[in-house]
Amino acid sequence: MTRANRNRRRHIINGAFEVLVTFAVVAFCLGPLFWVLSTSLKPMGSEYLIPPELWPSKPTLQAYEIILGLSQPGRDDPSDGSTVTGAEEVGISTLGFLVPIRNSLIVASSVAICTLLVSSLAAYAISRLRFRWKIQSLMLLWVGGLLPAVMVIAPTFVLMRSLGLLKTLPSMILPNIAYNIPLATWLLAIYFSQLPWELEDAAKVDGYKPLQIFRKVILPLSAPGLFSAGVFAFLGSWGEFMLASVVTMGIAEVQTVPVAILNLSFEYRYQWTWISAAIIVSVGLMVLVALIFQRWVIQGLTAGSVKY
Amino acid sequence: MKIRLREPALAVLFIIPAFIFVVLFLYYPLLQTFFYSFFKLHRTVDWLNEPFVGLSNYAAVFKSEAFRDSFLFTLYFTIVTVVLELCLGLGMAIATFSVHHRLRGILRAVMVVPWAIPPIVSAMLWKWLFHADAGVFAYLLRSSGLVENAPPFLTNPTLAVHSIIIASVWKNASIMGILLLGGLASIPKDVYDAAKVDGARTLFRFRRVTLPLLLPTILVTVLFRALLALRMFELSYGMTGGGPGTTTDTLSTFAYKYYFTYARFGVGSSYAMVIFAIVLAVAIIYVSRVRGNLRFKE
Repeated sequence: MTRANRNRRRHIINGAFEVLVTFAVVAFCLGPLFWVLSTSLKPMGSEYLIPPELWPSKPTLQAYEIILGLSQPGRDDPSDGSTVTGAEEVGISTLGFLVPIRNSLIVASSVAICTLLVSSLAAYAISRLRFRWKIQSLMLLWVGGLLPAVMVIAPTFVLMRSLGLLKTLPSMILPNIAYNIPLATWLLAIYFSQLPWELEDAAKVDGYKPLQIFRKVILPLSAPGLFSAGVFAFLGSWGEFMLASVVTMGIAEVQTVPVAILNLSFEYRYQWTWISAAIIVSVGLMVLVALIFQRWVIQGLTAGSVKY
Repeated sequence: MKIRLREPALAVLFIIPAFIFVVLFLYYPLLQTFFYSFFKLHRTVDWLNEPFVGLSNYAAVFKSEAFRDSFLFTLYFTIVTVVLELCLGLGMAIATFSVHHRLRGILRAVMVVPWAIPPIVSAMLWKWLFHADAGVFAYLLRSSGLVENAPPFLTNPTLAVHSIIIASVWKNASIMGILLLGGLASIPKDVYDAAKVDGARTLFRFRRVTLPLLLPTILVTVLFRALLALRMFELSYGMTGGGPGTTTDTLSTFAYKYYFTYARFGVGSSYAMVIFAIVLAVAIIYVSRVRGNLRFKE
């Protein structure tokens, strides 16, 4: 065998291996989601067919319409064969998934914005200003984030009750800001500390005050760091379940997506097309956010847990 | 009037808002949970007017069989998931690292997806996949001819435990892979070249070059994941509700049930303090590894 021949063969084997690896990883990561997507497009009741269809022969958006409260289940549903328990007594009020989505969007974006505001100031002080307890301050802020949620949940509930905030969105927004400050401050402090000092010195010569330096020099240079801290706060508070399940106290108007989806799965536990549609709706948005900000998510994850 | 603050004072002013949030919603509740754990609190948290019971809540916790079960499950879950995640993640990281850079971009994007899904939603997702009749695993087992009737994945104790582990591995292995990929990328290329020139085979290179250089990253990643796995809540709560019986109750779901199902805040708090002690032990190692390399210009 000639050398060129061998090289070419190795090239082909390598290429095949790469495609195989790619395929395996994609199947592993997206396979479960594909199955749920397929279920969500099946007509009601046909998710129990045996053998199950890999992809529905008659895909329909029925489940999505029901989940989003656009159509009433059972009424304009021509597939008469589907007499699944509970389908008749369904009240439309509990099914409007749009309300939880709106609530979650409000909670997650307020948390992201407030977290960025509070922790970028703290991170600036820690990384760029002169004072004595820098590392100790950062540690105090950061270690709080390692506390398990169950440690703080009962007293937080009591605090929210005495503030009269139960069953309102701020009862989720305020604690979630605190839960996201540790990581955000950590990421931003590391990010700010890597910025060049020359610009800041120049700004000082021009007579800028620290707050002006922060606003006009540091923040504009830190977009990637701010992105990753913001995305983490957004994703974290969007998915937060334990606190939300407690402070919303079963009131549908203030429920966020994680709470609503669990309630849905209790109330209509045989309607897996609906639950699947709800899963896809609540996952879709987050996956989109994660994919758009993928680069910063990865940078942030690496800096937030292993890089030092 | 214009107030001029010197830099240290200004720094403190900048940090205070963050401190207020963290103290109010993390450290202060932690302290309160600590206090609660010494009182008999049933349907109330007014510990000033309730009987002080000393350590008897803790005694009750340590005596109960349910605690032992949930403790052992949490420990088993943590060890098995983290080991499996490490193996899979390492495999993914190495395989992805050698792939052509265009494919690598797609792969990294795909690997972020399971992590971005809210935990309780992924619990719902896996509950459907493990459905006893219509789930995909039941179908695969049946059609492969291994069994006639698929086993009830989430209601058989052993199967429920491992179903939850699989769900957790799916959610976290790929993100572990991404973290390790970061570690791989930071290994200088000439180290490999040198090993190649010396005629080291692939497997040898991996064992003697890659692994030792990757070890610090692996250690911190594993500690980081263990910290999260020890407090696992949503997967158990969403997939099995702790069942069957209490076989898949973690320490977190147990404390949660004591609080909000039985309204026994005293015992629940002592549960939480036990979790705290365990997490603290791991956290100290983790923090000390990360802290030592932190430097800021004074």
